Amino acid sequence: MANRTDPTAKNIRGTNPQNLVEKILRTKIYQHTYWKEQCFGLTAETLVDKAMELDYVGGTYGGNRKPTPFMCLVMKMLQIQPEKDIVVEFIKNEDYKYVRILGSFYLRLTGVDSDVYQYLEPLYNDYRKLRQKLGDGRFSLTHVDEVIDELLTKDYSCDIALPRIKKRWTLESIGTLEPRKSALEDDFEEEEDKEEDDQAMVEVGEKDHYRRRSPARERDHDRKHDSRRHRDRDNDRECGRGSERERSRDRDRDRDRLYLREDKDNGRERARDRDKGEDREWDRRDRDRGRRRNRSTSRSRSRSRDRRDGRDRRKRHGRGSASPPRRHDEDGNSRDESRKKKPKIEKKDDGTDHPDPEIAEANRLRASLGLKPLRP
Amino acid sequence: MIEVVLNDRLGKKVRVKCNDDDTIGDLKKLVAAQTGTRADKIRIQKWYNIYKDHITLRDYEIHDGMGLELYYN
Repeated sequence: MANRTDPTAKNIRGTNPQNLVEKILRTKIYQHTYWKEQCFGLTAETLVDKAMELDYVGGTYGGNRKPTPFMCLVMKMLQIQPEKDIVVEFIKNEDYKYVRILGSFYLRLTGVDSDVYQYLEPLYNDYRKLRQKLGDGRFSLTHVDEVIDELLTKDYSCDIALPRIKKRWTLESIGTLEPRKSALEDDFEEEEDKEEDDQAMVEVGEKDHYRRRSPARERDHDRKHDSRRHRDRDNDRECGRGSERERSRDRDRDRDRLYLREDKDNGRERARDRDKGEDREWDRRDRDRGRRRNRSTSRSRSRSRDRRDGRDRRKRHGRGSASPPRRHDEDGNSRDESRKKKPKIEKKDDGTDHPDPEIAEANRLRASLGLKPLRP
Repeated sequence: MIEVVLNDRLGKKVRVKCNDDDTIGDLKKLVAAQTGTRADKIRIQKWYNIYKDHITLRDYEIHDGMGLELYYN
């Protein structure tokens, strides 16, 4: 059989590495012409040429789910089991993004958890575009970092169930991984520095401020500037290839927005502090609102249950003298309101109150899938 | 509302309630919810016609009580 695994290949996760691809997809790959024509007798070196020719990623497509060349090459790699150095070279190369994805995918399938994080996370800074073939044969646009994120956080990609991988948090707490260092960290620090400077400038004169700064801090600042320069050069180099510029600008904008939001939150906090006098009033209203919300969530339950609830509540109220009279009054109002509103909402749709429990159940399922309710 | 029967002839046979203007993709989701198989791993066909996701049951002239073949991929 030409499709058997390299006899010197090591078992991965206790089984033949080719078993990482599910049986159905595997047989489809074996039957595919790309596999038979192009992947026959490939070695680790000749596989590189084929990988460089890739021009899209994806799992399977079309009515009878043909495998993509990408999938065939993943399969081939599982079969010949290239050395780890070669895979790492695949990932580290800068020029061929599909080779990079191929290497990452293979590493994700076969690698140890810490390796997966160690080698794949740097690719979060690769914003190049990728073509992706969808199941129905259409293409969609994605980016290298998005694919990497999918590999690291999801358990299913390219029609393959990926092996379980430990969460980053777990590995950090065990101590096998360092906390992740974001490429944006320097930016953040610069921003903070700038803000501090601005504030200082408002307080003191500009020149005075610069004179006051300690030499250590000066050095620190210089280093940061350097790093920025390096990064800029990188960006320039990458600029020809894709939309890094735009994206990084987008991120900047996002970050700004974040700051704004924080400011706003602070403002709100302050406002709340200010009118502490009305605090109790607020509290009470909040509580009431919460109760009302509770009642409205029971809308989806059957009507009889609701009515029973209502009766209970009324009984309790008839007895209840603990609550002050005004609240009582208000509650009564709200109850009237909700009673008025309820039937209208119940009729509205989603059909989960259908007399036939089977259909009601089906409608509930359909609602959860985002489909319209069954028509009679 | 119509009811269709999907049989994979390996021991799984499901009846699914649906509207006739649901697409095959919707039907797959409903089957997936009933059987526990991923919707995108399901293939519905009748003899050699593989049904496509974006076409409605009405357009395939699937009527109440009809049987479809259920395959996996």
